[in-house]
Amino acid sequence: MRCATVKGTSAVTLLDLQGLSVTIPSQAGPVRAVRSIDLRIAKGEIHCLIGESGCGKTMTGMALLGLTPAGAQVAARVFQFDGIALSTSAAALRGRRIALISQDPAAALNPVLTIGRQMDDVLRTHSPHSKADRRAGAVALLAATGLPDADKLMTSYPHQLSGGMQQRVVIAQALATGADFLIADEPTTALDVTVGAQVLALLRQLVADRGLTVLMITHDMDVVAAVCDRATVLYAGLSVETGLASAILTRPRHPYAKALLAALPDAAPHGQRLAAIDGQIPPSTKAISGCAFAPRCPAAMTLCYTVPPPARVQGDHLWACHLAEGAP
Amino acid sequence: MTAPLLTVHDLVVRYKTRGLFAAAAKPAVDRVSLSLPAGSTLGLVGESGSGKSSLLRAVLRLVPVESGSITVDGQDWLAIHGPALRRARHSIGFVAQNPFLSLSPRLTIAQILAEPLLARGDKPGAAMQDRIAVLLSRCGLPLDFLPRRARELSGGQAQRVAIARALALSPRLLVLDEPTSALDVSVQAQILNLLMDLKADFGLSLLFVTHNLKVVAHLADQLMVMRHGCVVEAGATEKVMTAPEQSYTRELMGFGQRFGHDAKP
Repeated sequence: MRCATVKGTSAVTLLDLQGLSVTIPSQAGPVRAVRSIDLRIAKGEIHCLIGESGCGKTMTGMALLGLTPAGAQVAARVFQFDGIALSTSAAALRGRRIALISQDPAAALNPVLTIGRQMDDVLRTHSPHSKADRRAGAVALLAATGLPDADKLMTSYPHQLSGGMQQRVVIAQALATGADFLIADEPTTALDVTVGAQVLALLRQLVADRGLTVLMITHDMDVVAAVCDRATVLYAGLSVETGLASAILTRPRHPYAKALLAALPDAAPHGQRLAAIDGQIPPSTKAISGCAFAPRCPAAMTLCYTVPPPARVQGDHLWACHLAEGAP
Repeated sequence: MTAPLLTVHDLVVRYKTRGLFAAAAKPAVDRVSLSLPAGSTLGLVGESGSGKSSLLRAVLRLVPVESGSITVDGQDWLAIHGPALRRARHSIGFVAQNPFLSLSPRLTIAQILAEPLLARGDKPGAAMQDRIAVLLSRCGLPLDFLPRRARELSGGQAQRVAIARALALSPRLLVLDEPTSALDVSVQAQILNLLMDLKADFGLSLLFVTHNLKVVAHLADQLMVMRHGCVVEAGATEKVMTAPEQSYTRELMGFGQRFGHDAKP
């Protein structure tokens, strides 16, 4: 097991992405699933990728796993994991250093194989141990994810487990690969609120105990508030703001991040109209000149429609906006 | 306070178990009572298996009721059958979770909105066209959407069509089953705003079923929390949200307080 890194003392960059773009050819012209995303994640951190449908958050995760659709063009200025170039090694790192926890555990598990067999499939691929050792390892991993009666569970099938238990099995499988970087794509969306809270607590505990690093893909601000150290806000395939999760939630600088938080039901007094964002995200087939959010931005100026916004820096908080102080 | 539009008293819904000697299943809804005054909103909150959907289906008369009573607008709702039930159902509109499943992919928006009117026996013609146009614009969509199909719309736009369809027969009660769960946060805000407007304009009562306490707390006058078929907590929204009596209700509020980072150790 790797040594746990102590929060704050280590600032080793594990993942470094700059200017990542994913373009998928289609009959309607190139689809810009990811236009330009910067993402820097330190070892031992839980980093949230916040965004709505179509902002490119899942495609970013797929690019890290080397699982972009056939024909997709992936480009980046910097695309590195622990000093290794992901452009050539993403597939080799997948399932060794980088593992995925997907949204729907029922779809991630094979319905006709026992949990034991599915755990062993992973362990057999990644370790040279004997069958008995692998079995003991599988039971230990299942127990580590808080599953009771892990031994009995080995002979169970996925349908006999609740959604929360299935998600724990998927997490155990991710750990079985020995990966130190987990991509969790909306891991609680398919779960009930109380069960989701337990799964998040488990992830936090695993990060602390095993020195894992997690990229958490979500649209749920409660998830961000509950478990994330840092966060990056995406809009239309662009990273528009990045910083401490608490800073983004309490004082968002980018007008989109601010509007997104203001649209939450508990942001307005009871029964009052919510601050909905007018308009829609630009179609991913369309090229963007200027700021992608300008047509929906309440503070947009003429400049915003033509000139791409400059990067603003305040300590370790970064955002892209023509307004020097961010959203008013 | 006006007379209640919907009253449910000691309702029990139990699904049949298979097998001759199988023990009777636990009730999906266990002696639940509620009262929804005309023009107000009741938020029904619960997780999977809490019985909230079974209760909703019983109100819609889609599942048999074992015991208890339901009264809609003074009528014994469970005593109505056949063609009379068909007519009585005009007073309840229903909006489902996923508009792409609840709207036919083969019909145009105009045809989707005409369906309930035709089913009631209205004759096609200019009056119906006008009614459809009013419904659509009232739900915030332009008229050039009429010849389109659901798949050409975004999730939020499709849900607006579903709400327009539910309002076609001028119901007094709108039953909503997780109407924003499939939508993005910014779109959810638009739909919640629309529901608040419609409620005020048409004097609608809303029965809003969801697993997301925060969403429904924003527009509900009363909240009812269900678990394992029973009512765990019920009362005025403000009271339930600020001083919940049950720890379970607090758990449902989500992962810690609003952005306080409180959930972190």
